[in-house]
Amino acid sequence: MSKTKIIILSLALTVLFISGCSSSAQVQIDSQFPTVVSKPKPVNAAIVFSEEFTNYIASPNSKTRIDLGSAQTKLLSNAFAGLFSQIEFVSAATDVTFDNALVITPSVQEVQVSTPSDTYLNVYEVWIKYSLDIQTAKGDQVDSWFMPAYGKTPDSFMLSKTNAIEEATVIALRDAGAKLLLDFYRIPSVYNWLVTEQIPHKNSKRSSHSE
Amino acid sequence: MNRLLALGALILLAGCGATTTIDEYRPNNQMMDINSEQSVVILGRRDAGHYDTDREFIDCVASKMEGADIGVFPEQQFVDAIYPWFEPRTAPKGLKRLRRLMEDSAIKEKIERNGIRYLVWLDGSTETHDKGGSISCAIGPGGGGCFGFAQWEKSSIYEAIVWDLTNLTEKGRLRVDSSGTSYLLGVVAPIPLLTPVKNDACASLGTQLKQFFTVDQSQ
Repeated sequence: MSKTKIIILSLALTVLFISGCSSSAQVQIDSQFPTVVSKPKPVNAAIVFSEEFTNYIASPNSKTRIDLGSAQTKLLSNAFAGLFSQIEFVSAATDVTFDNALVITPSVQEVQVSTPSDTYLNVYEVWIKYSLDIQTAKGDQVDSWFMPAYGKTPDSFMLSKTNAIEEATVIALRDAGAKLLLDFYRIPSVYNWLVTEQIPHKNSKRSSHSE
Repeated sequence: MNRLLALGALILLAGCGATTTIDEYRPNNQMMDINSEQSVVILGRRDAGHYDTDREFIDCVASKMEGADIGVFPEQQFVDAIYPWFEPRTAPKGLKRLRRLMEDSAIKEKIERNGIRYLVWLDGSTETHDKGGSISCAIGPGGGGCFGFAQWEKSSIYEAIVWDLTNLTEKGRLRVDSSGTSYLLGVVAPIPLLTPVKNDACASLGTQLKQFFTVDQSQ
């Protein structure tokens, strides 16, 4: 082998080695989520998934990007379907067709990631902070509900950074669905709206599952 | 000389055995019947901040149970089947919450349709501590090798709680406590003498857990 070929091969190997040490991660969440087991209440709701939300890409730090949009839209569509008997998904509040309904606009406030090199713990962690803007179909504000979700990997053994962040994000998204189903009807302002609208709210045992 | 070497090897290997203790509690001596159409689901607790009950241990205990012809429903399949009621945030920690959960006909129907009769909660972890000694390895043009001695202790503590999903009662508890020391000798080549603490805990727990159940072959 000629000297030039050896140098090129050595350089290529060095580049490969260094790129293997790169700590950046581009994460695409493609997971499927299970259908929720829940009896919806007889409530109409319109869920506004804005373009920004459905295409959301989180950048928790300069080296990490998580393409969350599609996965969070699927997950929340599924979870909201377990809360309301009549539901429509729209891309803008102006498209809502219901007269008497809750209009819910979810948005992502912040996504945080921690890695073993940040915390010296043997796990990767992901926090997703959602905000649900809840209004009536007439435009009256009901609430703005902060909904945090958390996910972590069991450990970091043999996991690449990308796979570990993906796994933690999927767990965090599942946690968001759990939090929504568990706590939505416990929001005092939502409960009061149900009472005002005379919607039966004691038929379902959902809200008392975790008591 | 050969006898001396054999004795030395025997002493070293004996030193690698784990010490395992099992505590069992059952409210009564009644056996738990399970037929061929029913199954047990083994779930790991995942709500603690600093550890998760590892899936490897759960799979190990499940394989011990399956060896005794007891149907074991896969953990993830169960958690997905009744999503989101067995997520870390929502999973019932006590019977009171389980009973409330089972009042929901949709959840009850899912569990019955999948033939799940018993639920076993596994909670615990394996930790390494008391590390000591040092070993160093070097390589040069003339060859390489390791020299030194290192040791560490591992302990596995797991608790299993068995719930009957038909009667909504607790059927028993098992606690396994296994510990042992592992060594790494550097005599040119590194020689590991590992104590299978977690495997021992799994085998002991699985064997004891199997004895809780009586497989009814008539159905």
